[in-house]
Amino acid sequence: MTEKKVTVPNRLGIHARPASLLVKAAAEYASDIHILFGGDRVNAKSIMGVMTLAAGKGSELTIEADGPDEREAVEALAAIVSDGFGED
Amino acid sequence: MRDGYPDPDRLTVGEVYRRMGEKLRLSPVVDEGMENLVLSEDVSRPGLCLTGYTHKFLYERIQIFGETEITYLSRLSPEERGEALDHVFGFPVYCCMVTKGLTPPDELLSRVRASGTALFRSPRDTTPLIHDLSDWLGETFAPRKCIHGTLVDVFGIGLLCTGRSAIGKSEAVLGLVERGHRLVADDSIRIRRTGDRLLGTGDSLMGYHMEIRGLGMVDVAALYGIKAVKSKQQVDMEVRLKDWSEELDYDRTGLEERTTNILGIRIPLFVIPVLPGRNITLLLEVAAMEHLLRKGSSTPARLLNRELIDRMREGD
Repeated sequence: MTEKKVTVPNRLGIHARPASLLVKAAAEYASDIHILFGGDRVNAKSIMGVMTLAAGKGSELTIEADGPDEREAVEALAAIVSDGFGED
Repeated sequence: MRDGYPDPDRLTVGEVYRRMGEKLRLSPVVDEGMENLVLSEDVSRPGLCLTGYTHKFLYERIQIFGETEITYLSRLSPEERGEALDHVFGFPVYCCMVTKGLTPPDELLSRVRASGTALFRSPRDTTPLIHDLSDWLGETFAPRKCIHGTLVDVFGIGLLCTGRSAIGKSEAVLGLVERGHRLVADDSIRIRRTGDRLLGTGDSLMGYHMEIRGLGMVDVAALYGIKAVKSKQQVDMEVRLKDWSEELDYDRTGLEERTTNILGIRIPLFVIPVLPGRNITLLLEVAAMEHLLRKGSSTPARLLNRELIDRMREGD
């Protein structure tokens, strides 16, 4: 199990487009990946799950992965979030 | 968990009033106490404590003053009434309710004000009010968890369909909706345990949306109407979709009754291998019917086996 904390930096938070970026990235890894926020733990490969978080700007997320490529998965997803999904 | 219930660790008296005030027909008598935390899912009748028996008084509960308490107090002199109430207010009580439209005595008013306790009145009868309040508090404080899957009502059976992402849960359940069954929630299922039952709901933001790969998010309620959806459902069984593999040991007879444990409750589990060309919707529907049969009588497979054994005995 690998995990990492990241903060959502972009103004609009994780709306549909950022959610789909995360889900597409997560789907490329074999590990089970989850995102934890506000007492919820959702499957990072599910767009509905990720949108359910309703994680706005400044939200602190924990990304955790368990499986053969868990390190790479956590790093990749954390980088997408820290980058603000390419948004301001 | 955003499933329509407040966070029990931060449940205030004011929140109980906002959510249940209308149903319980509560009206606040004082301004105090709305920020007090509700510490228990149970309620208490303080009658015995008023008489001076304070041993094991359940002060952490909401206190209900019904006809017994109010008539007892009304028979006392003002001094005695104050003393009786001091037995209760010697504890850190935080919320009192006076039922049946009765008038709270002045001594009660002065003590709730002095101690910052919330006080409500209700015209409702005591017992039904206690039942409604306890039911809601019970559901709010219930053990809970979030499960990745799809919950659907099939012939009244709450079927929780699980399996890895993209295995086809949503598509299979959409097929069930097409056949007239009702979607409760897709993706993040919030489950609460109340008594020996599991109660499932969806996320209040996502509603009846489902993700169908290739179509994106579709709103089942908008597409199929109100008859196709349901807001709450008891979870009766789990069907787990698995990728087909040679090593997996599938139940070939139906004799083996597997179960799964959710929040300490055991429910039947069916593991269904997914292969191209298998009609998963049909299999889910049959699994629900099989569950109905097993609930109603002995297992059909067992009955069949018994018949087989009897037949072979005859042949001896």
